[in-house]
Amino acid sequence: MEKTKLSADQTRRGIEWLRLKNLAVVQESEQLFFALGKNGLGANKEGLPERKLVNLISGAPVPFDDLRKKLLDEMNVAIANAKKNDWITITKNDSGSIVSLKTNPNQTSEEKILSVIGEGKITQDQIKDSAALESLKKRPDYIVIESVKTKTISLSEEAKSIDVDAADSGAIDVEADVPMIHAAKTHPLKDTIGEIREIFVSLGFTEIAGNLAQPGFWNFDALFTPQDHPAREMQDTFYIKDKRAQNFATQAQINSVSTYHKKGWKYPWNLDAARKMVLRTHTTCVTIKYLAENKPTEARVFSLGRVFRNEKVSYKHLVEFNQVEGIVVGKNVSLRDLMGIQTQFYKKLGLNKIKFWPTFFPYTEPSLQTMVYNEKLDKWIELFGMGIFRPEVTRPFGITRPVLAWGGGIERIAMLKYGLDDVREFYNNNLNWLRSTPKCQ
Amino acid sequence: MPVVTLYLSRLQKLVGKTSKNRIIDSLPFLGLDIEEQTDKYIRVEYSPNRPDYATDVGIATGLQGLLGIKKGIAKLVVKKADRNYSIRTDPAVKKIRPYVLGLIAKGGKLDDEIIRQLIALQEDLHFGIGRRRKKASIGIHNLDAVKLPLLYTVKSRVHKFVPLAADKEVSVSQILDTMDAGKEYSAILGSASGVPMILDAQQNTISFPPIINSALTTVTTSTTNILVEVTGNDPSAVSDTLSVIASALQGLGFTLYDVKTDKKSSAESLKTRIISLESTLVNQILGLNLSSAQICNMLRKCRLDAVVRNKKISCTIPRYRFDIFGPMDLVEEVGLGYGIQNLSPTLPSSVSVGQKSETTLKLDQLGQIMIGLGFAEALNSSLTSKQILYNNTKRDSAKLIEVAESKSQEHTVLRDSILPGLLENLSKNIHEQYPQKLFETGIVFSGNSSITESISFACVTAHKDSGYTEIKSVLQSLLKTDSNIECKTKTAQDPMFEKGKTAEILVNGKKIGLVGEIDSQVMENFKIRVPVSGFEIILSDFLI
Repeated sequence: MEKTKLSADQTRRGIEWLRLKNLAVVQESEQLFFALGKNGLGANKEGLPERKLVNLISGAPVPFDDLRKKLLDEMNVAIANAKKNDWITITKNDSGSIVSLKTNPNQTSEEKILSVIGEGKITQDQIKDSAALESLKKRPDYIVIESVKTKTISLSEEAKSIDVDAADSGAIDVEADVPMIHAAKTHPLKDTIGEIREIFVSLGFTEIAGNLAQPGFWNFDALFTPQDHPAREMQDTFYIKDKRAQNFATQAQINSVSTYHKKGWKYPWNLDAARKMVLRTHTTCVTIKYLAENKPTEARVFSLGRVFRNEKVSYKHLVEFNQVEGIVVGKNVSLRDLMGIQTQFYKKLGLNKIKFWPTFFPYTEPSLQTMVYNEKLDKWIELFGMGIFRPEVTRPFGITRPVLAWGGGIERIAMLKYGLDDVREFYNNNLNWLRSTPKCQ
Repeated sequence: MPVVTLYLSRLQKLVGKTSKNRIIDSLPFLGLDIEEQTDKYIRVEYSPNRPDYATDVGIATGLQGLLGIKKGIAKLVVKKADRNYSIRTDPAVKKIRPYVLGLIAKGGKLDDEIIRQLIALQEDLHFGIGRRRKKASIGIHNLDAVKLPLLYTVKSRVHKFVPLAADKEVSVSQILDTMDAGKEYSAILGSASGVPMILDAQQNTISFPPIINSALTTVTTSTTNILVEVTGNDPSAVSDTLSVIASALQGLGFTLYDVKTDKKSSAESLKTRIISLESTLVNQILGLNLSSAQICNMLRKCRLDAVVRNKKISCTIPRYRFDIFGPMDLVEEVGLGYGIQNLSPTLPSSVSVGQKSETTLKLDQLGQIMIGLGFAEALNSSLTSKQILYNNTKRDSAKLIEVAESKSQEHTVLRDSILPGLLENLSKNIHEQYPQKLFETGIVFSGNSSITESISFACVTAHKDSGYTEIKSVLQSLLKTDSNIECKTKTAQDPMFEKGKTAEILVNGKKIGLVGEIDSQVMENFKIRVPVSGFEIILSDFLI
């Protein structure tokens, strides 16, 4: 403290910090100090009781009773010790006992200790005759023992190895922990969406886009979904209140779709039902509108975006999620080609073990679904659906060549990638999750 | 999608000559998804366009074909009607539920499992083809409790009978008002005073279509002879429905008899039809090179009949396969007969160069700049709540765009702005480390009678020193870095932003958005305790 000019508290804190860093070793030791008590101090000045006795009889022997009068309550101790030291002789006559000196004694070791301690204090090491000390300790209030605890701070081996010169040059503890900062980044789901988009582009597909709110015409009628189909009910589809589509298709397109519905489903097709605005239930409405407007004979396009289902939100279901859909139009394209494109697509996603099962979709025929083997879950899971657009879907718009189509939900793939079992996590915007999820999975 | 439970021993007996494992392996190739599998049973999901798969008999028929045990049509045999096997239609009923067909099935055995399956099949037909019993509904009765012929007529709402599962007579009104089936389907009958009713020759009520049967004709495990009636307001839905029931009952071992309705044969409407198919279409679509004879064999494996006639394939379709519309549906059948597992993938030969849309490229670029500025990307639903969008932010809800009958209260309104969602995100993260800086791009909706969709961009910064200067710097930097656009800010007022710390963002004199510090009341509504600044710009107005 003296050297550093630090306060006691600062010193203590400094030592504690060094100790935590394993740089200092703190050792605690106890030392005993001996000082003279009240009687000890008196004896040092006036002599021990036995020395007082000897002094009184140094001239001539003195009767016992006279000595008692002078030495008072020290009399017994004085006689006992003087006798023990063999300094005196006691003789008896008629008038009583008389004490006479035998030899003139030198300074005793007890007296030496008294004079050494004096008014100060000494440690055990400074006392040569420990037996004499022990004897003094037995006399009441002669010796006071003080215990002093001392902490000794020394450098640890680790600290000794620190190059102090280097430290003085501005070097810091490079191995210490530092506060976490969070890198700003794109959303994990957007990363998966981006990845899928890249795969489509790398397979030669061009991106198309369309509105989220669509007239029933493009979302349902154009895909040959009858107007009384359960999928069109409000229980499954979001209808937008008080909105009706105007000029949503050409008269020829409307007439043609109407004819196919009347012929195929045998019911009176209603234009007003086709005007009702819905939140698209799939991206296929974007695809069919593209086909109807462009009538391509060769095409590879895809669309990707949000779709909606009026469902109860749960760990499995969202009301709004992302879907991707690709189509190939060509002269000689076949179901096997569609399977080939799927195989490539999944390979690029790192999914190599796939198989195809037949399934049913209202607007494709034939229809298949992809089953992908998931190592983590150790089972086959259903991913994208695919098929060739039904003639009832393409013919009304004058498309005669086969249209291979496939697609599916992206969140499902992202859940597998990020190991999530609750799809809602993607839209919770929980900063802890967003910040701690690594880009590479 | 509907699900059916298949008991493996039963199914094996129905299919014949094959192992349980081959059955299990083949189910997916009929288009059935396995939902659950145990030693005893297997639960599969089937497509709503194949109600014949609602029973194990229907699935067994399909499996027999696929496994080559029995091929071609499982021919429906309907014997001629006896003299009194008839339903007379009262002209009055033509106005409320005009179509009726009937069928009699004799000499079968029913157990609990078969009854359960028949009920499931019935419910399935009611829901799908029947469009919740509107287009068609079915009554299945114990024939021996019925005195033929029947009368399909109209009765008033005071008419009484003992309905299924009841123990005393109840009036039509009571059934419609108090019983589950009555409440659920009464809307089909509207408010007309008369309702459809089927009575037997002794004036006993047999059925009250499309609501409920009479208790009198309840089918039990001791029933051996069955009467089926199907009524509805769509003639093809009525005959579609009857065809599925007829096939199932025949598969269960019943002998079928025709029932005449106004002298017309019900069996007439259960006849097969022929679709002609060209092998070139099959080979083009499947990418195969099959001969016509091979194609016929594949079709027969799908329990259809097919012969080559004048270089074309003439395919006979049983009545219950009304999911088959035309040649393309037959192409799929050939694919199933061939076995999807046997189709090897190929690659189309055409070469093309792909590209992302301009919008995607632009949004990706903006995102990259924001990340450079230290903002993380958030994602919110387009469909959100009035609370977040308007109440909490004090924004004007006069033009809100709502969806009808949402099942989720948090998803009822289409967003016209992205910022409120970001504030909601901050509000959910108040325990996380600051600074918190978020951005989002997405579609926003506006419009009166029609809907306009625009691409919007918004960001927020939340920390103890955030303020107008910081957010305007971010705005400036974003536009400058992206497209070297200079923007100006002009004092403005908006309920979401703090007065005196709000500005309109102008690009070339046109307003593209708002920037400012978030209003203290709004902050309180979102329970955010550090200052927040933000901006939102409509990209469609100037950039995309």
